[in-house]
Amino acid sequence: MYIEWSPKETWLHQINPSLKLLVIISLFTVMLLIDDLNYLFSFTIAVLLLFILFTGHPFKRILLFSIPFFVVFVSTSFTMILFGKGETTILKFGLIHITEESFYRGLLVGLRALATAALGLTFALTTKPVLLFYSLMQQMKLRPAYAYSFMAAMRMLPIMAEEFQTIRHARKVRGWEGKKGAGGFFRKISAYSIPLLSQSIRRAHRIAVAMEAKRFRMAGQRTYYYQTGFSWNDVLFIGYFLVVLAAGYYFSAEWPYFKQVNF
Amino acid sequence: MKPIVQVEKLRLAFPGSKNMLFKDFSVSFNKGEKVLILGPSGCGKSTFLQLLSGIIPGSIDIPCRAEALEIPQEWGYVFQDPDAQFCMPYVDEEMAFVLENLQTPREKMAERMEELLSAVGIRLPALHTKIQSLSGGMKQRLAIASVLALKPEVLFLDEPTAMLDPEGTKDIWDTLKKVGRDKTVIIVEHKIDHVLDFAGRIILLDGNGNLMADGTKGEIFARHRTELREQGIWFPGVWEEYISQIPAGSKSIPANGKEVISLSDFKGIHGKEVKIHVDDLKVQAGEWVVITGKNGAGKSTFLHALMQFIKTKGNYLLKGKRILKGVNPAKEVAFVFQNPEFQFVAGTVYEETAFSLRMKGLEEGNIAAMVENTLRVFALEKQQHLHPYQLSTGQKRRLSVAASIIADPDILLLDEPTFGQDAKNTFAILDKLEEFRKKGAAIIMVSHDEQIVEGFATRVLAIDHGRIIKNEYILESERAGMTCTV
Ligand SMILES: Nc1ncnc2c1ncn2[C@@H]1O[C@H](COP(=O)(O)OP(=O)(O)OP(=O)(O)O)[C@@H](O)[C@H]1O
Ligand SMILES: [Mg+2]
Repeated sequence: MYIEWSPKETWLHQINPSLKLLVIISLFTVMLLIDDLNYLFSFTIAVLLLFILFTGHPFKRILLFSIPFFVVFVSTSFTMILFGKGETTILKFGLIHITEESFYRGLLVGLRALATAALGLTFALTTKPVLLFYSLMQQMKLRPAYAYSFMAAMRMLPIMAEEFQTIRHARKVRGWEGKKGAGGFFRKISAYSIPLLSQSIRRAHRIAVAMEAKRFRMAGQRTYYYQTGFSWNDVLFIGYFLVVLAAGYYFSAEWPYFKQVNF
Repeated sequence: MKPIVQVEKLRLAFPGSKNMLFKDFSVSFNKGEKVLILGPSGCGKSTFLQLLSGIIPGSIDIPCRAEALEIPQEWGYVFQDPDAQFCMPYVDEEMAFVLENLQTPREKMAERMEELLSAVGIRLPALHTKIQSLSGGMKQRLAIASVLALKPEVLFLDEPTAMLDPEGTKDIWDTLKKVGRDKTVIIVEHKIDHVLDFAGRIILLDGNGNLMADGTKGEIFARHRTELREQGIWFPGVWEEYISQIPAGSKSIPANGKEVISLSDFKGIHGKEVKIHVDDLKVQAGEWVVITGKNGAGKSTFLHALMQFIKTKGNYLLKGKRILKGVNPAKEVAFVFQNPEFQFVAGTVYEETAFSLRMKGLEEGNIAAMVENTLRVFALEKQQHLHPYQLSTGQKRRLSVAASIIADPDILLLDEPTFGQDAKNTFAILDKLEEFRKKGAAIIMVSHDEQIVEGFATRVLAIDHGRIIKNEYILESERAGMTCTV
């Protein structure tokens, strides 16, 4: 997640977080509906452009983040390509049977996975969680009770990771030896997760008490430290995808990169 | 004058418990008073403070009834654990949370934050600083700053310095005295050194939450010494009384004591940094080593390195056996965490105490007898069915000590085992440890208490910036008050 590193602020950071979230969710739906390979290909390129050029993170980090995507892309498309069904055979070798249909279908699924991941990560890399919640409260009228519960919970995540370590130490100190093997593994999981959960619940309760002691009320007016509003960047963001969708459609009809196949 | 806080005939009982914690308890506070509430550990002081502020039953649902209950309009509450009271990751965001609750206009926020932070003496290069990067003392000051934002008439302080070293403690009290001058302040605190010149009135409770005395500081310490002593509450002079009754000559180390821990060029590594570096140190059976040093000096890290919680390098011999990677020293060594909650592994006080014995595979009959005995020594019998988290602060600390020493270890590492404890139980813990030492156990313990050093330590190690800067034997006066530096 964002938290540790501080990238350069780009126009993607300055988009209203709620709006960004909404746009990205609608793009996810649009992507599910596209089953034209050419169209999806243009779209994926457009998303990758944003991801690589405008998140404000150094290239090395972007490259690092791209590795899992690449793996996802290759693995999903290849399973479809190698073992899919179809009529126009390209290659047949034992179990492996590549047909034109399976090839295109595989590419389509792979691209969809790639675009989804890149879009999601672009969002995560350019959105501060705190700002997202502030924006949700201001623009989407999310109730502060929920927003602040989420923010407090996020603060607890690293604490929980530490806690896991602590519980491990506590058991070690008290002479609890984990058994080897699969049975031991599951015993270990249950031995850790129950106290971890119960401690988290108690801790959460304590933070809730402290929050209420600071006059946090479930309902009621409040002011906002971070003011989130709209700007030309929002227009640019929406415009970018409108253009991409329109142009992609046009290109796929006029100058397809791939042969059009129906499947 | 109309009291600002008042309760009449209060009755309160925890769900599922037979005994009432408060029974027809009445007390009232006037505007501007500085009141210290004293009582043995577990008598209900924290509960009472939460009730006076309306946290009970507002945020914590506990059945209670009172004929009259006057809660202040504007109040602030400082909790003892700094980490458990923040809900945002950054200093400015945390302060903003309070200001937003009060509907402070956005334009005024930055100015107000600066004002509040400077009132508690926090100077930061930028407001947008991670809370996690602050020291314990700074965190607690931040907590006070956000409480001040509420413009409280009444301040409730529940052991606000429980997690701090002596320096941090003094700082916080200086801050509190400054900001609390014109407010009503109601304080619960065991270590009263810093509070006594601030509080004018003292309310004395007994072990069951009954009012024993209520009067000015002078009156209480002059007329109620017996009660204070009986209830085991700290009062000026109680340490001297206690230490004077320790038989002379008890501080000697057995001459033929075996070497139990031997370190050379020993390093504790956290991340990639060396956090503690010990050139050479040997500890023999029958020693009581007290480790001192500031918050963050590396005391706990040193103990963690000995327990192999963190990566270590160098030579480490435990009872002559070399400790290599993957060896668990816990078979030979008992350990008490600084934060007792970190240690709890079981669902009830009884099970927690029995845990180590079960791990050892003892018979159920023996276990029951040993557990009951231990719980009695540490005054936890009545709480044996509670969840460890439901205990009072002092009880938690006692339980963590009880549970780790029950298996009769001969090396003990303890991280501030007497913090937040009343006098009686502090002495009970020390007596128990001394008993172990006499039997030949080696004790290594982090503590800030001068008196423990004076009364019990046979050696003091001072740690600063991850290095041992002082290693001094303290032997008894008959040996001419001799301290020899090694
Ligand atoms: N949920 C609960 N159920 C039953 N008993 C409880 C519960 N919570 C607390 N207690 C008991 O209530 C008593 C009062 O607790 P409280 O925390 O008020 O004590 P305290 O005076 O602040 O002690 P300390 O000085 O150790 O902090 C303790 O004996 C504790 O064990
Ligand atoms: Mg308490």
